[in-house]
Amino acid sequence: MTVHASFPDAALEPAPLLTVSGVSRFYGERIGCADVSFDLWPGEVLGIVGESGSGKSTLLRCLAGIDKPDAGEVLFRAGPEPLDIYSVSEQERRRLMRTAWGIVHQNPRDGLRMDVTAGGNVGERLMDRGDRHYGKIRERALDWLQRVEIAGSRIDDRPRQFSGGMQQRLQIARVLVSEPRLVFMDEPTGGLDVSVQARLLDLLRVLVRDLGLAAIIVTHDLAVARLLTDRLMVMKDGHVVEQGLTDQVLDDPHHAYTQLLTSAVLSV
Amino acid sequence: MTTMIQVENVAKTFTLHNQGGTRLPVFDDVNFTVEAGEALVLAGASGAGKSSLLRILYGNYRPTSGAIRITHAGRPVDIVSAVPRTVLDIRRRTLGFVSQFLRVIPRVSALDIVRDPLLARGASQGEASDRAKAMLTRLNLPERLWNLAPATFSGGEQQRVNIARSFVDPSPIMLIDEPTASLDAANRDVVVELISEARTAGSAIVGIFHDEAVRERVATRYLDITSFRKAA
Ligand SMILES: Nc1ncnc2c1ncn2[C@@H]1O[C@H](COP(=O)(O)OP(=O)(O)OP(=O)(O)O)[C@@H](O)[C@H]1O
Ligand SMILES: Nc1ncnc2c1ncn2[C@@H]1O[C@H](COP(=O)(O)OP(=O)(O)OP(=O)(O)O)[C@@H](O)[C@H]1O
Ligand SMILES: [Mg+2]
Ligand SMILES: [Mg+2]
Repeated sequence: MTVHASFPDAALEPAPLLTVSGVSRFYGERIGCADVSFDLWPGEVLGIVGESGSGKSTLLRCLAGIDKPDAGEVLFRAGPEPLDIYSVSEQERRRLMRTAWGIVHQNPRDGLRMDVTAGGNVGERLMDRGDRHYGKIRERALDWLQRVEIAGSRIDDRPRQFSGGMQQRLQIARVLVSEPRLVFMDEPTGGLDVSVQARLLDLLRVLVRDLGLAAIIVTHDLAVARLLTDRLMVMKDGHVVEQGLTDQVLDDPHHAYTQLLTSAVLSV
Repeated sequence: MTTMIQVENVAKTFTLHNQGGTRLPVFDDVNFTVEAGEALVLAGASGAGKSSLLRILYGNYRPTSGAIRITHAGRPVDIVSAVPRTVLDIRRRTLGFVSQFLRVIPRVSALDIVRDPLLARGASQGEASDRAKAMLTRLNLPERLWNLAPATFSGGEQQRVNIARSFVDPSPIMLIDEPTASLDAANRDVVVELISEARTAGSAIVGIFHDEAVRERVATRYLDITSFRKAA
């Protein structure tokens, strides 16, 4: 038996990266999401599942600083002091969004600049961060294109010349190049065909593990959740009905809705 | 002796909400302990709840009540009430689960699957490769398969990859559910040896084995879980 002494005790980790309490968002009379609370720790990958209209994207937008909740707060720990992301200035929030976290949109067109080259899309994020050396920026952009399996020879092509799967991989490179600590993804493999999805998923799995990223991933696909996430939150009608370790929730679901969701799939 | 698992007043009832709320009591008031260096074999008829109990020990199923204290990094930790990241940490360092089935990860080679737990525990690339190869050789997995992803392997080949991954660096606690189900006699013998070696090296083993000959060679103690059946 090996003695596993080199690991820090989980109990000794300083604090959660994200603390969400009582987050609610209403659209008039309609509930977007209601009273959502959880902690996310460095390196944890949280999945959000639930049927269409259950509030997954609404919640993600509230967490990612895109859409202010009507109630509740989202605390992010970038430094020693937690920041309430909606009480800091607009400018400060934008700076955080550019440097400390990243957002992968379902539609790559929402996350890419379609009129800028692939290399420019990736390099731009480094410039946002303050990098100025052109040669180094191009070198890192090239490295990232290769990591997401886009040939370096395509660096000067524009995203509209890429397939949907390539656009999605380019978006991922653009988000990860600035080394965010937290990444939000809304259906990152939606709209792609199954073989392209499998490749992208494998890529995400490896990147998330190697970079030690914390991530929140919205998906309606339980197999995706099984492969990529540590923890799972199940939403219905805007409410979180069940949460826990991903394998617990999928193998021994307690809530009626989760049981329905898992029984609808033959094997996950 | 070091107590590795302490099961206290554990009960499990499944409630099937989409079948009219049917309640399925499995067991009640389960109490036992497992020490380092022993192999406890769970006995009981099909459906008695052996696999469910093993999954509860792993933190995969949630008991209806009770506590499971796992000795983790020298301290007892209740895996039932632990937060997810603590459960994951316990699994990474203390608890191994060996099932009959390999959960295939797309595009990852057999060799990398077996190397993975060593790397996760801080072994060097070279050491991880050497030990993984030795284990695959011992389980008679043809070398031409090592660099392929197991998605296309036969059931028995996948099973051996899974066993190699589990025993390449045995955990302080090994939970084992029918590991030899579709193996031939030679490979079954290797598995029995691997389990005995892990136990001799100090692991605590809890296992389920349908094959009586395997059971007798592995067990140092039996627990018939039928005795915990809830009085209806
Ligand atoms: N901008 C908006 N204005 C009004 N209602 C909205 C708005 N955005 C979302 N909603 C409503 O809020 C609820 C939750 O929507 P949301 O987009 O969060 O669902 P979702 O879980 O992401 O669904 P899907 O899986 O289909 O993407 C729905 O009833 C939706 O119609
Ligand atoms: N996830 C689950 N949801 C609902 N019921 C379950 C679940 N898992 C197991 N059960 C039920 O619990 C009871 C015990 O099952 P379990 O698999 O633990 O038995 P076992 O002793 O391992 O049987 P076998 O020897 O056939 O493998 C069975 O009635 C089974 O249907
Ligand atoms: Mg949505
Ligand atoms: Mg069983």
